Amino acid sequence: MRCGTRYAMKTAAVSCWRNDLDDLSLHVLDILENSTAAGATEIEVRINEDIDENLFTIEIEDNGKGMDQLNLSQSRDPFFTTKDTRRVGLGLSMLAQACGEAGGNLEIRSEPGRGTVIKASFVYRHIDRKPLGSMAETIAALIAGSAGAVRLVYRHCRGNREFIFDTAEITKTLDGVAINHPEILSFIKEAIESGLESLSERSNG
Amino acid sequence: MKIAEIVKSCKLQVLSASGSLDREAAGGYASDLLSDVMAHSNKGDIWITLQTHPNIVAVAVLKEICGIVLVNGRKPEQDTVSKAESESIPIMVTDLPAFELIGELHALGLRGKR
Repeated sequence: MRCGTRYAMKTAAVSCWRNDLDDLSLHVLDILENSTAAGATEIEVRINEDIDENLFTIEIEDNGKGMDQLNLSQSRDPFFTTKDTRRVGLGLSMLAQACGEAGGNLEIRSEPGRGTVIKASFVYRHIDRKPLGSMAETIAALIAGSAGAVRLVYRHCRGNREFIFDTAEITKTLDGVAINHPEILSFIKEAIESGLESLSERSNG
Repeated sequence: MKIAEIVKSCKLQVLSASGSLDREAAGGYASDLLSDVMAHSNKGDIWITLQTHPNIVAVAVLKEICGIVLVNGRKPEQDTVSKAESESIPIMVTDLPAFELIGELHALGLRGKR
């Protein structure tokens, strides 16, 4: 059931942005799904738009089961997958390619039993850097699929402004209502969208 | 049409899996966006692209693409060639830009729609 919901959310997210299958936010969703599949109960997503340094980074840290040296060294290989349903696993290798095309790179650190940190970096204004896309959809899709089993913190910096979203804060105010209730999810999406918009507003000073 | 005939007519240089050129190309697809190729290419297509990353071999295996042509004189990464060799995916290169090569393939009778 849970998996079904997640799949439906992802399909819905993809079908309403038909032209944006390559958005970085979908790579983020892929990694978040890896994290939940690895049993993570806490995930932090940190996005930093460092306009002055012309650097764009996406960092995802989880407390899942982590990877051993062997899995870690194979994790960027498109012909390595832990799935047994098909022979290729393109998630991290596609993200590594997207980084490379935009003057950046993909770092993966992991320790068995402790978790994994993925850091994707890009030249911010590189002409081949893919757009971020809708992080609101991505975060909502993860929450819908994980049904409150995962605490997700999302920090997004642009210049010296920061937006923080934390599912623990939402859960506190819900008074027992499920966090993946459709109305809560649309509230979450709106909250993230307006939070991100506030990062772009011109300051008066 | 066999890949070998395409190689000959379009003067392509074969960089991997030269033993697999008797495979039939049922049609063609051109795109540089891997997700798009995964969504829209057909089994048996020859794929025209300028991407050189090893991921192109994985996409070709996943979609049962018969061969990949890199255009504009692009050279594949070493890892791409060795993966293509072990997966028996012919990688071919040409100095022609995509538009010109596709025109030639179309004149040979290959189509993008089936």
